[in-house]
Amino acid sequence: MNASGALRRTALCDAHLALGARMVPFGGFEMPVQYTGILREHDAVRKRAGLFDLSHMGQFALRGADVGAWAETLTVNKVANMKPGQARYNIFTNEHGGAHDDVIFYRLDDERWLLVVNASNADKMWDVVTSARAGDVEAVNLHGERALIAIQGPRSVEMLQPFVDAELGAMKYYACAEARVHGVREPVVLARTGYTGEDGFEIFLPSADATAVWDAVLAGNRAGGLEPCGLGARDVLRLEAGMPLYGHEMTEEITPLQAGLTWAIKFDKPAFTGRDALLAQRESNTFARIAGVIMDGRVPARAGYAVYAGGERVGEVRSGSFGPAVNANVATALVEPRAAAEGTSLEIEVRGARHAARVVPLPFYKRAKA
Amino acid sequence: MANGVPAELLYSKEHEWVKLDGDVATVGVTDYAQSSLGDIVYVELPRVGAQLAQFVSIGVVESVKAVSDIYTPVGGEVVGINNGLDGDPSAVNRDPYGDGWFYKVKLSDVGQTTELLSPEQYAALIVEA
Repeated sequence: MNASGALRRTALCDAHLALGARMVPFGGFEMPVQYTGILREHDAVRKRAGLFDLSHMGQFALRGADVGAWAETLTVNKVANMKPGQARYNIFTNEHGGAHDDVIFYRLDDERWLLVVNASNADKMWDVVTSARAGDVEAVNLHGERALIAIQGPRSVEMLQPFVDAELGAMKYYACAEARVHGVREPVVLARTGYTGEDGFEIFLPSADATAVWDAVLAGNRAGGLEPCGLGARDVLRLEAGMPLYGHEMTEEITPLQAGLTWAIKFDKPAFTGRDALLAQRESNTFARIAGVIMDGRVPARAGYAVYAGGERVGEVRSGSFGPAVNANVATALVEPRAAAEGTSLEIEVRGARHAARVVPLPFYKRAKA
Repeated sequence: MANGVPAELLYSKEHEWVKLDGDVATVGVTDYAQSSLGDIVYVELPRVGAQLAQFVSIGVVESVKAVSDIYTPVGGEVVGINNGLDGDPSAVNRDPYGDGWFYKVKLSDVGQTTELLSPEQYAALIVEA
């Protein structure tokens, strides 16, 4: 939010209103939470494809010979060994091993990178990036100035292909490229990334071109079942796919280790912020951790609800929703290790009454491999 | 119907409707409410026999992502609930004034309905909203 407290609008705001979207404040922006309804939008993404405006996300352009080596000292994953054309998930950590933010690095060429951060953390992350800058590293904050459109779903390749000159089917998951996109004068960054558990692409483009691209892709694929999708559907899709949401499964206090992101933490890096704390946490192995939870009944669990095992309080729900893909109420809970094993019977306290639930492996939903 | 607001019902500011039949009132949420709530996945209703005080929170509606309180627009004893919502909560979205009704109350005092909004008043309320 800016100093006046007024909400910012993305370049696509009028397009959302014309489509009948319900708008809500999110990360300082006025964003579409849904168009026709979360269930219908969710269904489109799982079976066909959905189109998302994610222009509220923070985009930082990084440039310089030292970006990779520098970023490695602030994050848990490797950066310097990324090749041009690669995207990689990563987490900026604090001294205690907690997370400043989870992000994606896109390496465009030897010198140029794109760093995408969460909207709610964009101001904080700009401080983190600029205050720690060292060596040959330039950073430009594009937050709110560039647009981001995502298409997500099993039919993304065929639906987007007519509008771009890159051969989409040949791009690997987590590949990025600079490509020509319908009606946009300059090449834009195109990546096979997303936050739904489906195949899909994200297009980082100038705000001035966003509406033309959005309208063209939507109009060209309406008959094929492409639906505009809001942040409501996006949150349900990511939860089903077992993907963490900053502020829920990960915070300045909840470490990536607790969030189950061990695969992203490279302890073989000699030094990075929070490495010692994370190493000590791993050694002790007594930390509360994120577990997947399915409710036995029809009552949804919600963030903040207390979790019990064997009559004792063992943690709390961090995210909870109805999960249409599994036709059950799904949740993540931060629980003591003794309550985290698959199959553990839990009780979730909902409005004073305890409801049966059980621990299941994450993700709740995994797409069939093409 | 004026602006989609049925003329034969009374309303609350919290977007519930009331249908009077003698001293028994049937209660549900309005079309405006179901549309704002989004896809409804669970409705928690009071038990038959429960005594409700007017305008107090007596249950919840859960949509995919959020929980919302139900504030009873009338007080009295619950004499019936819509068990059909257990298996099909989406009836509230589909037919808020029909199959999606919530519960029936035997009014403790028929005079309390003067606290409710007329269809015209409610239509004006949702235009402002």
